[in-house]
Amino acid sequence: MATLPHDDIYQLVREPIDMAALARLVRAPEDGAIVTFDGFVRNQSHNRATLYLDYEAYESMALAKMREIGLQMHEKYRIHRVAMVHRLGRLEIGETSVYIAVSAPHRAAAFDACRFAIDTLKRTVPIWKKEYFEDGAVWADGELPPVPTATPRAKPAS
Amino acid sequence: MTVLFFGRLKDLAGHAEDSAEFSNAATIEQLFALYAARYPELAKYRSSVVASRNQEFAAWDTPLRSGDEVAFLPPVSGG
Repeated sequence: MATLPHDDIYQLVREPIDMAALARLVRAPEDGAIVTFDGFVRNQSHNRATLYLDYEAYESMALAKMREIGLQMHEKYRIHRVAMVHRLGRLEIGETSVYIAVSAPHRAAAFDACRFAIDTLKRTVPIWKKEYFEDGAVWADGELPPVPTATPRAKPAS
Repeated sequence: MTVLFFGRLKDLAGHAEDSAEFSNAATIEQLFALYAARYPELAKYRSSVVASRNQEFAAWDTPLRSGDEVAFLPPVSGG
């Protein structure tokens, strides 16, 4: 299995995400573009005013899945470095929950890879958010990750 | 075997982790059925649950071995 470039960054954190620092870390002289995605907490959900969100993760698996996404990004796109950080715990309105920065020699690959990264993260990384409102809290609707439908049968011993 | 519940499923099962006494379950499907029998609310969510075995998404008919870490995961909502 291919290995990730050692200067990529994949993290789950409980403190505010330092976006400027991450963008600097993926930036290198041989690059010509960085595309970033900043996902942050919206003040409403289905027209109900949100107070705050609480994120939890299956941390070891979430990190493994984030690194898997990174591997796919490097396989599919001509990019240089990736920083992908998701925050957990209580987040207030406007705070960044997920940040992705992708550097590349040319912009098209960086745009495509960054879009692929956030779309895949939202579908496959085991992280959940609970939305808190004035009158209660609900687990946010999410996406069911694609799962193998049946395990391959073991070959009978011959 | 360790069994983990996350998100809504953790609320329904009343705990996040169980060092399964259900070690007689042969597959993930059987393991879930044993918990669903104990916590009927869980059973209602069966169609919106995915499972993992040792941190890889796994089919319901995946065989279990002692020492496995199995997790039941509701639809993910990160980002």
